[in-house]
Amino acid sequence: MFAAFVQSSLIRLIPVGMVMLALQRTVLVDIQVSGVILQVVLALAAAAGASGGSERGAVAGFVLGAMYDLVEGTPLGSTAIAFTVAGVVAGLLALIAADPQWWLKAIFVGLGCAAGEAMLPVVRVFIGEENPWPANMPKVILIVALGGAAMSPVLIPISRWCLKIRGSEWTAPAEQPLV
Amino acid sequence: MAIYTVGRRRVIIALLLTGALLLTLDLRGNPVLDSIRDGFSRAMAPVERATDVVTTPVQRAWSAYSNYDDLERENEALRDEIDRQRGTQAAAEASIIDYQLLLALNNLPSLSGIETAKAEVVGGSTNNIDQIVEINKGSDSGIAVGMPVVNQAGLIGKITQVNATTSKVMLITDPRYSIAVEIIGGIGEPDDAIEPTDTSPSGRTPEEIDEIVDQSIEDATPTTDAADPAGDPTPDEVFANEVPLPEAGAPTEATTTTTTTLPEAIPVGEETAPTTDPDDNPIDADGNPIDADGNPIELPETTTTTTIALDPDELEKEFGVLEGRGQGRPPQVKFIQDIPSLAVLQVGDLIETAGGSESLAPPNIPVGRVINRADRPGVAGPLLEIELNADLDKLNFVRVVLFQPLTEVDE
Repeated sequence: MFAAFVQSSLIRLIPVGMVMLALQRTVLVDIQVSGVILQVVLALAAAAGASGGSERGAVAGFVLGAMYDLVEGTPLGSTAIAFTVAGVVAGLLALIAADPQWWLKAIFVGLGCAAGEAMLPVVRVFIGEENPWPANMPKVILIVALGGAAMSPVLIPISRWCLKIRGSEWTAPAEQPLV
Repeated sequence: MAIYTVGRRRVIIALLLTGALLLTLDLRGNPVLDSIRDGFSRAMAPVERATDVVTTPVQRAWSAYSNYDDLERENEALRDEIDRQRGTQAAAEASIIDYQLLLALNNLPSLSGIETAKAEVVGGSTNNIDQIVEINKGSDSGIAVGMPVVNQAGLIGKITQVNATTSKVMLITDPRYSIAVEIIGGIGEPDDAIEPTDTSPSGRTPEEIDEIVDQSIEDATPTTDAADPAGDPTPDEVFANEVPLPEAGAPTEATTTTTTTLPEAIPVGEETAPTTDPDDNPIDADGNPIDADGNPIELPETTTTTTIALDPDELEKEFGVLEGRGQGRPPQVKFIQDIPSLAVLQVGDLIETAGGSESLAPPNIPVGRVINRADRPGVAGPLLEIELNADLDKLNFVRVVLFQPLTEVDE
């Protein structure tokens, strides 16, 4: 079991997630865009989905979301579910392109962030909270999505390293000797 | 397509179900999850401290870029306001001391007997939903879940999570926050023009700040005793010259002060004056003093201050429940049913905590003022929107009131 843990992607994802959480709780709380807090941990989960597909994105989102819940004191699982959805949505990129361009990845990271941010109050409604919607929900979703897309060029390589995803290697077919 | 195989879908569904299971366990209270949470928070602490040190220059650069102009103007406005308030502080403190003596004389509960723990806000909410801040005091300082948290302006929230050296404070504006409050009716005036304003970052509109700054320049008030900008104040320094707790005044103390400028005693004139005042001093047709030749007299002015006490019989206390409504929305006070006395409540009325044997906060902590009233149809009582005394966007030093409800003390 220990060997499986060491060989899995979690051994890299957890420390990187801790650093991202620390960034989220320190610098990003102060650096707000139009009063909205950018979500770097959510963006990392979405980036994992965009680079590794829905399954890996879901696993990364779940782990990062659970870490977020543990340190923030929010109900354990509430953020994990939302981040899982973010990873799955961003992972839909693999359905339309095998080797996507960077801008296409950025778009899907943004979509994943939007889905994850929108899911947060939805999960809160399911656990009985009254009126968890921020007053400016559309603006929050838009800015978080744009922020995630902007951060994707940095976060996608990090997520690839965390999840041990190798780049696709296209090789030209060997030339057939003419008969 | 091979990308979405049944096995991969199962993984995603299993993760979602696991999340739901964890949610259920956590909401029902699970000591294992609590210990995991506590351990993870401890593990995160050094990472956060290191990150904070590394990113401090970035934070300061951003703050300098985005807030410099506002802070400069706000600084001038605040200096002027400090000078204005210094004059009234002594009288206010004397009133509070009198009030506390009266309470002690009548064996009534008072906030002055409750200990507090001073703390500094070290972190804000990291998402866009929760209204929670973190402070640097925890169970080691006697803090427990549920205790009210105040700053110098009034109530700001309650403790919702406690670790050994840190605590989480749920702010009044969080949708999950509710507390019993009392509304002192008859103080405010029915003025529909008073509306909540979106101000940033000082709680004042740019026009208000301009007005104060202009006034400050005109008054040329000395500001030599402003805080030393070189060093950050400590909680002890912030709370050094303060009355024990922010405490709302009793209704009988509510006063209105008016300042009137009156002329000094007028010299006695001659009998030939065309008109005289009740003291037989000559005056012209407009009531201004004149000399024997009918020329107006330039008189020195004196200022008298008149204090008018509000009639306690006109004040009405009503009790309701204050509920937060999330970021950007003012909290509301709800009444379960409509009764005739609620008609007294209006814009400007004071809100303070109600206390009670089961309340998490002691009575008489000031909360805010009514800024809007909405009457609901049927028998449901009115809804009051309130403006908080405390500026929750600018929290720095706070105090945790080490208060336990009477019911818990008995246990």
